[in-house]
Amino acid sequence: MGVILSRLLQSLAVLLAMSFAVYGLMGLMPGDPIDLMIAGDPHLTAADAARLKALYGLDRPWTERWARWLGQLLQGELGYSRLHARPVIEAMGPAVLNTATLMAASLTLALAIALPLGIAASLRPGSLLDGAVNLLAFASVSLPVFWLGLMLIVVFAVELAWLPAGGMTEVTGDGGGRLAHLVLPVSALALAGIGQYARHMRAAMINEAGHDYIRTAKAKGCSPRRVVLRHQLRNALIPITTIVALEVGGLFSGALITETVFAWPGMGRLIYDAVMGNDFNLALSGLLLATAMTLVGSILADLAYWRLDPRVRRMP
Amino acid sequence: MRRLLAASLLTTMLAAPTVWAKDELVIGITQFPATFNPSIESMLAKTYVLAFAQRPVTAYDASWRLSCLLCETLPTLENGLAKVEGKGIAVTYTLKADAKWGDGQPVTSDDVVFSWTVGRHPQSGVASAELFRRIASIDVKDARTFTLHIDKLTFDYNAINDLRLLPAHLERSRFQPAPAEYRNRTAYDQDTTNPGLYNGPYRIAQVVQGSHVALEPNAHWGGTKPAFKRIVIKAIENTASLEANLLSGGVDMIAGELGLPLDQSLALEKRHGARFAVITKPSLTYEHLDLNLGSAVLGDIRTRRALLLALDRESMTRQLFDGRQPVAHSMVPPPDWVHADDITRYPHDPAKAAALLDEAGWKPGAGGIRVNAGGDKLALELVTTVGNRSRELVAQVLQAQWRKLGIDLRIKTEPPRVLFGETVTKRKFSHMAMFAWYSAPENVPHSSLHSDAIPKADNSWSGQNYTGYANPAMDRLIGSIETELDRPRRKALWRELQALYAEELPALPLYFRADAFVLPKGLKGLEPTGHQDPSPYWVESWRWE
Amino acid sequence: MRAGAVILILLVLAALLAPLILPEPDTLDLAARFAPPSPDHPLGTDELGRDLASRLLHGGRISLAVALTTALLAAVIGTIVGLLAGYHGGLADTALMRLTDGVMALPLLPLLIVLAAADPAKLGIPPDAMTSEGFAVGRLVVIIACVGWTTVARLVRASTLSVRARDYVRAAVAVGASPSRIMLRHILPNIASPIVVATTLSVGNIILIESALSFLGLGIRPPLASWGNMLTGAMDVVWSAPTLAIWPGAAIFLTVIAFNLLGDGLQKSLTSTSRRSDAR
Repeated sequence: MGVILSRLLQSLAVLLAMSFAVYGLMGLMPGDPIDLMIAGDPHLTAADAARLKALYGLDRPWTERWARWLGQLLQGELGYSRLHARPVIEAMGPAVLNTATLMAASLTLALAIALPLGIAASLRPGSLLDGAVNLLAFASVSLPVFWLGLMLIVVFAVELAWLPAGGMTEVTGDGGGRLAHLVLPVSALALAGIGQYARHMRAAMINEAGHDYIRTAKAKGCSPRRVVLRHQLRNALIPITTIVALEVGGLFSGALITETVFAWPGMGRLIYDAVMGNDFNLALSGLLLATAMTLVGSILADLAYWRLDPRVRRMP
Repeated sequence: MRRLLAASLLTTMLAAPTVWAKDELVIGITQFPATFNPSIESMLAKTYVLAFAQRPVTAYDASWRLSCLLCETLPTLENGLAKVEGKGIAVTYTLKADAKWGDGQPVTSDDVVFSWTVGRHPQSGVASAELFRRIASIDVKDARTFTLHIDKLTFDYNAINDLRLLPAHLERSRFQPAPAEYRNRTAYDQDTTNPGLYNGPYRIAQVVQGSHVALEPNAHWGGTKPAFKRIVIKAIENTASLEANLLSGGVDMIAGELGLPLDQSLALEKRHGARFAVITKPSLTYEHLDLNLGSAVLGDIRTRRALLLALDRESMTRQLFDGRQPVAHSMVPPPDWVHADDITRYPHDPAKAAALLDEAGWKPGAGGIRVNAGGDKLALELVTTVGNRSRELVAQVLQAQWRKLGIDLRIKTEPPRVLFGETVTKRKFSHMAMFAWYSAPENVPHSSLHSDAIPKADNSWSGQNYTGYANPAMDRLIGSIETELDRPRRKALWRELQALYAEELPALPLYFRADAFVLPKGLKGLEPTGHQDPSPYWVESWRWE
Repeated sequence: MRAGAVILILLVLAALLAPLILPEPDTLDLAARFAPPSPDHPLGTDELGRDLASRLLHGGRISLAVALTTALLAAVIGTIVGLLAGYHGGLADTALMRLTDGVMALPLLPLLIVLAAADPAKLGIPPDAMTSEGFAVGRLVVIIACVGWTTVARLVRASTLSVRARDYVRAAVAVGASPSRIMLRHILPNIASPIVVATTLSVGNIILIESALSFLGLGIRPPLASWGNMLTGAMDVVWSAPTLAIWPGAAIFLTVIAFNLLGDGLQKSLTSTSRRSDAR
């Protein structure tokens, strides 16, 4: 357990360093929304701008603001979002939920398709099926996501008119249709993920097949089906778990483009707008959450590794 | 997967009929309003959404005349409701008897005083405090009548479009205890769907953060009843997706104020003219190139004129924008009543442009680029906003047209916050900046042309005279126009100003932008205004036919 | 692998030969906007009447140049970090690997956005240098490389650890060769193959990242053409002129898949020669 404690401490150090770096980089962004307001409104004077900057604390050096922000955070205060004029938690809440829905659905779909494909391909390496899966896998990781998204909209929403083109629910009537609105963005994200999961699954299965215990099991006369399912698959799933766990944090904030194309108000969009609008509190909280998810994911992956694989009794 | 698809098919089929129900209207815009308080921080999406639910006291209408929205009669010197007092003026307004907040409370002079108090409070977070500073004091005559004492006499003394009313009965208790916290405590963001916050024909009934805002009729609205039972404003940032939503029936119309770029709308009209009507109206949004007059090249008037003569703006707007965006000759657009026609124009004339460049010392050099006696190349840099497709296209056309005359143009694009927050405001652009001015009708260009509005370090970069243009004659004209109350005399002064501008070319006029409204066939009564007061101020006249 | 290599060779050839066969990519013809394919314009013209084929190939030069340079730079950074960590071990190893883990844990896209929006002037880079097109491209290269070096660093560290234990390295240490000499002369050549594979595989990814950044307006900006910004620009007119989106989309797809196939092939052939005994 000491190992886990040290991992947690390391993760905290990473989070701290990241918040400092992001604060600094955002401070390095040229211009700021208040200067932008001066340009947009001829009646706004320099005095007005100075007053507003003081009001939002933007006139202080960023290191000082970062220190104050950290102090607040340690007291459990995330502060107010400057853009949304409400507490960060309140501004972030719905977006976290929306992203979690999108992420869970697309990850499930991607795995549901990718794992069987990877397993099937691994059973007959070099076969036609293997080649087809391989090609599909490469195709899925080689498409720009926004292009794929728009093509899905063109085909399924506009030409065939089967599915809504964007948004989360029907905005008219009773506001239903959540499921229908999920299909296209989930498909776009899942399609982009299938490739790597299928390839990893196949590689892991083939790797396991080379181990002695599988040969022994086969030699003992176990049915091939039983060997594959009971032994090979079980062990091959271990590396997959690691990969998925590591992927979660990235998906959490990295679905920005899918969210933009499908008008899905999630975390990617929220963080992007916060960064662009110098909303330090909101941007930092969003980024920290995403990073923390990756870190927790990797710790969980290690734990799972340790649990599932009796051969590994050593924490990496 | 198949089950999922089948289920979704079912839901869309069930949902499909409601899309075309006549008492609902779904409007697509490209931005979601981050906040809803009308006074704090202006943002186009917020202005647009609130225009359905909030009425200012006065506004410019679609024919660009000032009109009363919440007041009974527009006060003027002629009708005696405005009186000159010393250097300033006293203007008396009477609120409409049927003006009510959505909870049935009448809109009163007290609301006016409260809104002014919030507006002038230094910590309230109100961005534009100019109007509130101009109003020195307010006399309340009765619950509906009040007199504003404005400390400076200008011809637009009765335009108080920026005075947006806040309901004192709901907001005062949130403001008074801690004005510095008001921006985080306002009911507009804490309790957005409270009907008492809105005095327009609609009230905000539902907000789904980042997705859409639903409006429903305000039960206490005293004016003409609006035609729709529900209006939904849906934010779709990506314009290609926005168009897809329109084509698939997810939205019924796209607002011009925050909608598709013109060329995209025109392409849409070509393909789907039977389903949608695309309305464009040239606006007073003035697309132009601000020139850095401090640079050696552009300080020479001959070079500036040659640059403009070298451009074929007519064919550019005809071919790129179907001729919908009229070529500009000064900053005053044709629909403005002070627009003058008889000023110097610069039609496409390459020969004359070449002669002027020769005269200014720029002779054709190696590689087709002109050079001066010192061997410097005639190379200019143009900076504009990234992500504005029309501007990116136009910049590349300018580059090609100038190249023919031996002028080398380098294009640089920057995000708006950089361009407007740093590059132009601190006059850091080396030669040209392409952007637009967006304003009200008969807007005096004091901040962009007066010599006291040149941003400098010692005035902490205030003012919008980014070109650095300083001409006593221009300063005088601006001063006289601002205080000239007689319309014919003012029009004459405006003509002089435009003539001087066209003569001196502190900026190169390009064209007046036209916003494209994409409406379903059958939706009538929507009239684009072409200025900063958005079309939903007149939503009562929208209807299906 | 062979298919990947063939596609890439054809692409590079086409990009190099483009100026000889096709018209200038910047020649405008407003009268011929959105023209269909013709002998003069084999793929038709774009929204400003420019030759699409020519822009596609010139855009390809930029996209490929950016991707290859970035991949190389990331490989160099990753190799240095991995070598130092693997060779020296101990505290250096722990520090460098925790750094690597930290960077890997960062959310990539938001980080790229913050980096792309930061102001180089505040870092003391002279404003004159920033106006050139080269700077814009270079900035993108540096930004992506800054977050993309981690995979190589981990691979190199692992390989270094195993190579370091071999006899010839020990011998070199024993005769008193300097650490940098040992790392460069003795270790690096023996761990080259995983570096090559990882770098090849990363090229495709970088092309995709560039297109994503272009989509957000933070990538390479017009008038300089890249596949990413051509595709982004074509999105708005996808209904009236779908070919404008299809061609750069296809170019990105083909190139990325080619690099992936090549990398995959390299991996198979390199590992099978080194581990022939393990083969089934």
